[in-house]
Amino acid sequence: MLLFRGEEHVARWCAQWSQPRGAALTIDQAWRLARAWYQNKMDSAWRRATLEETEGLMASLGLGGPFWDLR
Amino acid sequence: MDGSSFDTDVRVRLFRQFVASGEPPTAEDLAAGMQRPVAEVRAALERLAAGKAIVLQPESREVLMANPLCAVPTPFRVRSQGRSFFGACVWDAMGIAAMLGTDAVLDTSCGCCGEALAMTFRGGEALAAEGVVHFAIPARQWWENIVFT
Repeated sequence: MLLFRGEEHVARWCAQWSQPRGAALTIDQAWRLARAWYQNKMDSAWRRATLEETEGLMASLGLGGPFWDLR
Repeated sequence: MDGSSFDTDVRVRLFRQFVASGEPPTAEDLAAGMQRPVAEVRAALERLAAGKAIVLQPESREVLMANPLCAVPTPFRVRSQGRSFFGACVWDAMGIAAMLGTDAVLDTSCGCCGEALAMTFRGGEALAAEGVVHFAIPARQWWENIVFT
């Protein structure tokens, strides 16, 4: 995942590398996803989230559609 | 101590040492600190890697990624408490700030034009900053093989 100055720069990068556009998240969305994913990784109680838990997390952040489908 | 409990101890020690020093501990470092044979620690690291908790280097089998921390320098640097850490991508770098739970600054650049970009994390929040985070690979693929994200 890369950071871009804005949507126009994402589009330019996709064209330059002949890549389909993926999904562009706001800083706030990406921060909430990163926090939910990693904030307890150093804790002894950490475990890898299940498929269902991850689906629930993505839904709670408004990340839906084929790009975010895990199955 | 059963294998699962030992693996948890190895994981927690690995992360704590990595964060405390800014450098990933070697298997020998971990074994010395835990007063256990290196072979036992290496076996635990392999199990943690198989469970996708960490990623090992292909030949040395030392730690490459204690996700979100990366053992080698990348264009995604996080500075906090006088130390620098690296993420394998911007999302991992944000994850470092989240995991540390301390104020931090992420330095990177625009994936397109190379213009310098930064994010500041303060009080558990990401302060407003320029930029969008682009996920190029559909979620199913990075879920299946987290090292390639």
